[in-house]
Amino acid sequence: MKVKCYIQGMAAISPQQTFNGDIFSAPLVHTDSNLLPCIEPDYKPFIPGNSLRRMTRVLKMGLTTALQCVRDSGLDTVGPIVTGTGKGSLQDTEKFIREIEQYKETALNPTPFIQSTYNSVNGLVALQLNATAYNNTFVHRGFSFETALLDSMMLLAEGASNTLTGAFEEMTAEHFYIKSRIGFWKQAPTDSRSLYEQLSPGSIAGEGAVFFSLTAAPADNQYAAVTGLKLLYKPTDEKLADTLATFAEGADLILTGRNGDNRYEHYYQQADRLNIPQLPFKHLCGEYDTAGAFGMWLGANILRSQQVPAQWFPSLEKVPATINRILLYNHFYGEQHAMIVLERV
Amino acid sequence: MAERVFITGMGMITAIGDNVAENLEQLRQQRSGLGFTSYIDTIYRQVLPVAEVKHTNESLATLAGTTPCKGLTRTTLLGMAAMKEALQQAGISDVQSAPTGFINASTVGGMCDTEKVYFDIINPEKDGTFLQYIDTLDCADCTQRIADAVGFCEYIATISTACSSSANALMFGARMIKQGMLPRVICGGTEALTRFTLNGFNSLKNVDKQFCRPFDQQRTGLNLGEGAAYLVLEGESFARANNSRILAELTGYCNTNEAFHPTSPSPDGDGAYEAMKAALAMSGRSADAVDYINVHGTATLNNDVSEGKALERLFGSKVPLFSSTKPFTGHTLAAAGAIEAIFAVLAIQNGLIFPNLNFSEKMEELNITPVTRLIEDASVNNVISNSFGFGGNNASLVISKYEG
Repeated sequence: MKVKCYIQGMAAISPQQTFNGDIFSAPLVHTDSNLLPCIEPDYKPFIPGNSLRRMTRVLKMGLTTALQCVRDSGLDTVGPIVTGTGKGSLQDTEKFIREIEQYKETALNPTPFIQSTYNSVNGLVALQLNATAYNNTFVHRGFSFETALLDSMMLLAEGASNTLTGAFEEMTAEHFYIKSRIGFWKQAPTDSRSLYEQLSPGSIAGEGAVFFSLTAAPADNQYAAVTGLKLLYKPTDEKLADTLATFAEGADLILTGRNGDNRYEHYYQQADRLNIPQLPFKHLCGEYDTAGAFGMWLGANILRSQQVPAQWFPSLEKVPATINRILLYNHFYGEQHAMIVLERV
Repeated sequence: MAERVFITGMGMITAIGDNVAENLEQLRQQRSGLGFTSYIDTIYRQVLPVAEVKHTNESLATLAGTTPCKGLTRTTLLGMAAMKEALQQAGISDVQSAPTGFINASTVGGMCDTEKVYFDIINPEKDGTFLQYIDTLDCADCTQRIADAVGFCEYIATISTACSSSANALMFGARMIKQGMLPRVICGGTEALTRFTLNGFNSLKNVDKQFCRPFDQQRTGLNLGEGAAYLVLEGESFARANNSRILAELTGYCNTNEAFHPTSPSPDGDGAYEAMKAALAMSGRSADAVDYINVHGTATLNNDVSEGKALERLFGSKVPLFSSTKPFTGHTLAAAGAIEAIFAVLAIQNGLIFPNLNFSEKMEELNITPVTRLIEDASVNNVISNSFGFGGNNASLVISKYEG
């Protein structure tokens, strides 16, 4: 399969001010609570009030990001819709479990059950855009977004002219606590700005929704091209090192998913040997299943503007004057490793 | 020219049998797997019928060739049992002998076990081995445990598109083969009964207190089931070089979204119509070459009207023989597409059309009725298998007899 597609449009809701305004003047949002929550926009311009009232957080974030992405792309027609989410709507899942217990399995409101279904965001996006083409949702931790991207490139190779491809994830207080019980987060409150100096077990939690309009054909003013994609499941050190070396070829910059977790830091250290300037991005978005989508959004912005949002990287020393190619390398708790190559167009 | 995609192995476990042969025998005997649950903690234990696999988790572990341990959910164990048979049947002793992908499907992951300890998990005062279930709640857990047990190291992925999940897993695997990404992909899904899904469908007033009656005027809803099924897909050149035994060919498929309503299909079955039409077009078969349709046929009020209308629109006065096998297996959600794809292969291999149990009265909205008795010695060359889900996700597969 020919791995090449173009980013025609994109949108992101994240813990930073990414949805509206200029990201090069947006201040760095930081936390010491070990959780970076999204800055949510006003949803009213996107979703009718009566629907909005029924929808929980990740549904609103996912749908709104998808709609904004379509606007940004300027495309008239929406083709296939492919997404990834590791956890779907946690809020609805938790609510339905609790109500089953609370009301002893009787007189239950079905809405949280319906919305807990992993493909509910895709269904809502299709409904609102009247998009009747292919529609799929991948739900595999750190491969969720990346497999959606792979599927999208396959669809473009099969003849689709564009795809709406995205990822969404939310964190809830309950889920944050649950994951803390199995060592997902750092135990001590950690300043997100010094995440990479605080090497200890666990990371800081995050969340976000990111969508891309991908096209098979180049056009004016696109953000970037995606020219490489590789997924590795629990690779050996040797296989990882070889693959990183191959995919980093010609890269001016490596965006890494480094997250301060000393248990899995050694994977990222493999990339250090390549002697290519690096930017880690998890202090901006936190750690979550589909954080790779945020990384790709950031990389595409850097390529189009030929500029790094310097205020987001206080310890930034030097970036290349010209950035033609970026390797994004991210893994999720050492299991799912993904490499995405982005090029300037 | 893209590779043809062959089915070279199948494995399954459902309420009517622990393997493909047992499932076939029960279908022949017209024996339903519906009954009442032994394992779910619910007030509907004696009220809402389900098609449960008749094994404890310990017994499933033995069947799957593994040792039961905390953190190994029923979803995973069902999947492991089906996977073991699929590999055996395809003659694969080492999945790493050729690059092999694994595309799994699930709707609620390990909810079956997590829901039993959820309130302990969120209680800071409780501690214990139940914490090992925390990470089993998502859909990737079962996929990775099966992958690790078998040794998959190429593409692994999990799909969740409600009731069309494993049909989409088969489609994705077939497309990977056609794109030349992998010569062999094992695709399917696994689903365990849960209090969560039982209450979910019941809150939608979609569950029948009697055994479900697909395409019947008096139908009032579905019965849930559990199970797992995997099919080994191989590209033509690999299958030939490998001298694989070819069971059938996946000749067509289509995934469409109806964009009509979050949970209901359109009254005229637009999504079902488009999915079947496009899948058939891809297969290169004409409408009159379709010998059997294994319909989605959940027996909900909406599905059967919508799907029936779609059949009448696509096939006019010549709707092929059709039946729903949900009264045998219950509605197994994410596993349904793969289970029914295996039934399609069995229909082709054995010249059988399976009966739609519990049917007695034609629906007033339709002019068609399902097959109600087992038909043997039929010539079955092309089967359409339908799977439709929440979120407007529709999927149709065309499975054809292998002809050289």
